Amino acid sequence: MDLPLLSALFAAFALLLYVLLDGFDLGVGALLLLQPDERLRDRMVDSIMPTWDGNETWLIMAGVAMLAAFPIAYGILLPAFYLPLIIMLLALGLRGVSFEFRYQTEQGRRLWDRCFALGSIVAALMQGLIVGGLIQGVTVDGERFAGSVFDVFQPFPLFVAVAVLAGYVVLGAGWLHLKATPPLRGFAERILHLVAPTFVVLVAAGCGAAAMVQPGVDAAWAQHPILLGVIAALFLGAATALLLAVGGRADGRPFFLGLALFALAFAGFGVTIFPNVVPFRISLWAAASATLSHVFLLVGAVIVTPMVLAYSAFAYRVFRGKTPESGWET
Amino acid sequence: MTLDPTLLARIQFGFTVSFHIIFPTISIGLAMFLAIVEGLWLKTRDPLYLQIYRFWLGIFAMGFGVGVVTGIVLSFEFGLGFARFGQIAGPAIGPMIALEVLTSFFLEAGFLGIMLFGLNRVGPRLHFLATCMVALGTLLSASWILSANSWMQTPDGVTMENGHLVVTDWLKVIVNPSWLYRLPHMLAAAYLTGSFLVAGVGAWYLLRGEHVDFGRRTVSLGMAFATVLIACQVFIGDLVYGRMLQYQPAKMQAAEGFWEEQSQSPAPYYWIIVPDQANQKNLFTIGTPYLGSIWLTHSLDGRVEGLKNTPRDRQPIMGWVFYGFRVMYGIAILMFGVVVASLWLHWQGRLFTSRWFLRTLVVMTPSGVVATLGGWYLAETGRQPWVIYNILRTNDAVSPVPAQVLLSTLIAFVCIYALFMAGFLIFTGRAIRKGPRVATDHAESTGSLKHALKPAVLDDPGRNRPVTE
Repeated sequence: MDLPLLSALFAAFALLLYVLLDGFDLGVGALLLLQPDERLRDRMVDSIMPTWDGNETWLIMAGVAMLAAFPIAYGILLPAFYLPLIIMLLALGLRGVSFEFRYQTEQGRRLWDRCFALGSIVAALMQGLIVGGLIQGVTVDGERFAGSVFDVFQPFPLFVAVAVLAGYVVLGAGWLHLKATPPLRGFAERILHLVAPTFVVLVAAGCGAAAMVQPGVDAAWAQHPILLGVIAALFLGAATALLLAVGGRADGRPFFLGLALFALAFAGFGVTIFPNVVPFRISLWAAASATLSHVFLLVGAVIVTPMVLAYSAFAYRVFRGKTPESGWET
Repeated sequence: MTLDPTLLARIQFGFTVSFHIIFPTISIGLAMFLAIVEGLWLKTRDPLYLQIYRFWLGIFAMGFGVGVVTGIVLSFEFGLGFARFGQIAGPAIGPMIALEVLTSFFLEAGFLGIMLFGLNRVGPRLHFLATCMVALGTLLSASWILSANSWMQTPDGVTMENGHLVVTDWLKVIVNPSWLYRLPHMLAAAYLTGSFLVAGVGAWYLLRGEHVDFGRRTVSLGMAFATVLIACQVFIGDLVYGRMLQYQPAKMQAAEGFWEEQSQSPAPYYWIIVPDQANQKNLFTIGTPYLGSIWLTHSLDGRVEGLKNTPRDRQPIMGWVFYGFRVMYGIAILMFGVVVASLWLHWQGRLFTSRWFLRTLVVMTPSGVVATLGGWYLAETGRQPWVIYNILRTNDAVSPVPAQVLLSTLIAFVCIYALFMAGFLIFTGRAIRKGPRVATDHAESTGSLKHALKPAVLDDPGRNRPVTE
């Protein structure tokens, strides 16, 4: 069995779940900035409050799976993205404490909501910057990062950063479309009408720009034209369906189509860089740790992940339906 | 001035990890406390327990939140500041931390939402299960991370092949020589921290004559737990000491403050030293004569080994190790004294009325946190100059990140974390001043609302104000 490949699939699974789940949390957080009504902001935060912690945990899972299975890549990519990662971690921290602290104060709530939004927006931008930086490529010498920590601050990664933020806002607005009653739902619809088309345009432009900054992207298209073509077609189809579903009777449809958009973009990214774990430089097999590390990780993952998914789903089920207007009773 | 990237990376890691450990220590302790209190409530249906639960749940949630966000930072810092450490240690500690995430972080996160917001949605029994799962999650988390850290202290079950570390025996990696000693030590420390925290706040209410029922019950619970725990901790601490003396002699040599290969006889027990590492001597010492021989060699004239037994390029910096140890040990002695006093006062029937004792408890509120920090400084600075003992030097583990960048991010961490700490302290302080809420809507569903609204009349002579509830 190809253990490094299985570990890579597990890490990718964790990362995808992170992007999907914390994506809508961060999107809701970013939208706090645009919502002047404090009662509605309370309900926005209430809608994500009981489950955000588990969502964010998938980020740690992805990072640590990489440490366990691909330590060489971990030791190259983390210094390469030192600045965006540190800024992201601080921003996630600010968002995380704002969750707790905003409930503790009446007069200071607006300030903590601003921190919440700022943390969410900056974290989203930094994640996009890292994706852009991965496509742009990092300078490697043997097992060491040999570039500058400022390499990532280039036009293309910055462009991707904006696209990811827009995507998270689509997810967040889709979540509110699902969880909120009017007038908050109307707010979500207006956002979706505006930002969803913007996101699609940004992704399309980003794909074109990627081929210009990174020859490896061209090579991937040449190698998998049908697969990538199908992914792109499905993406456009899902985007159209999403726009048509906004304001419709199916509360959840825009949200789930938004998740599909992200899953497709993620798949396209995966196909483009496969089989490298440091994109276009080091393959997952070259960066892998020895067999027993994969065995331990994978046995643990196979046994425990189904349980994690089961009780995470249970937690979502406990808080299913429309978020109560009076907040969660304690 | 030239900046040393190694030093800056270490300060950054030291700062962020020190800040972080405060919150899990509190969370581990409070989670167990909450589970016990909710269990007592389910068993007795005494609304006072529900009141205690709700009050401490709010503070637990805030501490847990800060712990989570500062913990995420750490899981990336293994690569951000110490890339080579990640590359070398990843195959061994990576899978362990991955299992920590899977078995513990998700468990905590999945059930925390229910614990905090779900009492009316899932019913008391399932809610109690959620609390227990969160407490279990904190315990599992401590187990895995202590195993990973103990492996760095006493690595086993691995070999080096072509500059890469290869795991040969997982059982030896996980059950490495110091884990089974250090894990109970840390758990007892966290539970002691929770006990003194809870008792300290209860004592503050008793001193003010507010929330007297609440204060009495929490002082009782806190001191009861502390009594059992400090007795265990003295015993466990001694075992850890012996174990580390065997596996990391340099650490324990530095911890006692002696330089010469054999100390004078009889050896004093130093309380304060001013070490001069460059000249391998102490500039100044204050100690108790004979006590070093008695405590450390169990004889009147035994000699104690000093740091010169370890070659200079393998020595830790004595000052950090010594004072980390003394802070932890000093507070342990104080805790022991407080527990003895509480037993005496309890026997005399004056536990809730001795103002000097209650004041001492208030002062001791954060003592567990400080002692735990001291212990970790002993453990981590005493392992230096190694990051993985005898395998990888800290100097060789640092990332290729420029010193100016490291300095900038260090400053950013300090600023943002100061905001976190300020928020935590202000809101916790506010919650404590506001006091526990009474007569909850949920008490109604258990049929004990009447009981909750009319607390039993107290016959406490030391009470000088009516209960404001």
